[in-house]
Amino acid sequence: MKITDACVYPRPFGDSSVRRMALEAHELGFDSLVAVDAPPCEFAGVTIVHGVVIRGMPAQEAALRVKRCRDTDAIVSVQAGDNGQNRTMLAMRGVHILCGIHRTDRYAFDHVTAKMAADNGVAVDISLAPIIKERGVMRQRALDRYHDIVRLYLKFEFPLVISTHARSVLDMRSVRECSAIASVIGLDGTLVEQALSNVGALRLPHSAVRVIQ
Amino acid sequence: MTSRPPTLRDKRRYVLIRTDPAGTAPDQKELYYAVHEAVSSLWGDTAAAQIHMAVVAAEGEYVVVRCRRGMERELVIALTTVTSCGGQRISLRTIAASGTIESLRERIALLQAAESRVDLPDECTIDGGRYIICRCSGQKVDVIEKGFKNTTRFFLTREDLEDI
Repeated sequence: MKITDACVYPRPFGDSSVRRMALEAHELGFDSLVAVDAPPCEFAGVTIVHGVVIRGMPAQEAALRVKRCRDTDAIVSVQAGDNGQNRTMLAMRGVHILCGIHRTDRYAFDHVTAKMAADNGVAVDISLAPIIKERGVMRQRALDRYHDIVRLYLKFEFPLVISTHARSVLDMRSVRECSAIASVIGLDGTLVEQALSNVGALRLPHSAVRVIQ
Repeated sequence: MTSRPPTLRDKRRYVLIRTDPAGTAPDQKELYYAVHEAVSSLWGDTAAAQIHMAVVAAEGEYVVVRCRRGMERELVIALTTVTSCGGQRISLRTIAASGTIESLRERIALLQAAESRVDLPDECTIDGGRYIICRCSGQKVDVIEKGFKNTTRFFLTREDLEDI
């Protein structure tokens, strides 16, 4: 069970190298990081997982990119859109994480999409960045959306992942701090631990019946 | 004015934090405003009054923040949302909480003694640009682009410098 930050952006997206982020993650209590467009490697005892974020493109184009990533070890995150787009993405094989739900409208992720996420084993990303960086209405909206996601999560039990979306080592937070911030949206310590260790399970092929012994 | 007897005073807790990036020692007053803004924007004025936050000591990059006992969790969550101070990007890392400032001062002395510095050349070249190495501690190297404009701080490792 590896404690993982589900999305960080090292250089050239941010100001920190992937090695520096790994060093910092090790000090902050993480075992692995999903780093966007970084080659998979291990540094300072932290496993770097190659991450792909698909955003700002029509569903057909997104489907092509997901297809291209399907046979790789990459964790594929897709930016959430409206309800119809989210349903399409959740039904697509090869999508691991649905991210950026805090930016969508209230009806973009409802009980139907929650059930689809649970059935297809697609995780929903709780980004701590809007809680940390935003102020006022934007943060209130994000908190409201996350409260709603947690309520659906407790009912449908789809996988949940937590990420900092850090573009710098200054944006990274420790496991304890992540847990404290997540408590604001109603996630207790056990649920946070489960969410932080979910990334490893996302890479396993999803099937209705799983042999455990 | 006489001070209250100890039994009538508020019980307080002290939280030790480290400011990142390393080597930055923000002004105590500016840090107070930054933390106060973070507390009141996250929890509102009512909870901010209950937290009763104050920056009581600063030794280099280590800072001691006071709060009312029982409100440490709220203070620590608010501290994680501080992203800048006096126009400079910072991050506050919570290290410990204690009932006395004295025990945190001892902790600061231990932490400062354990810090290791490595001597590296003053400058380096990355992608054709000249950079000043402003901080080097263990594997970590912080560089700032040379010049008056675009003086962004980059966070690298010694291996990154060798590769470049």
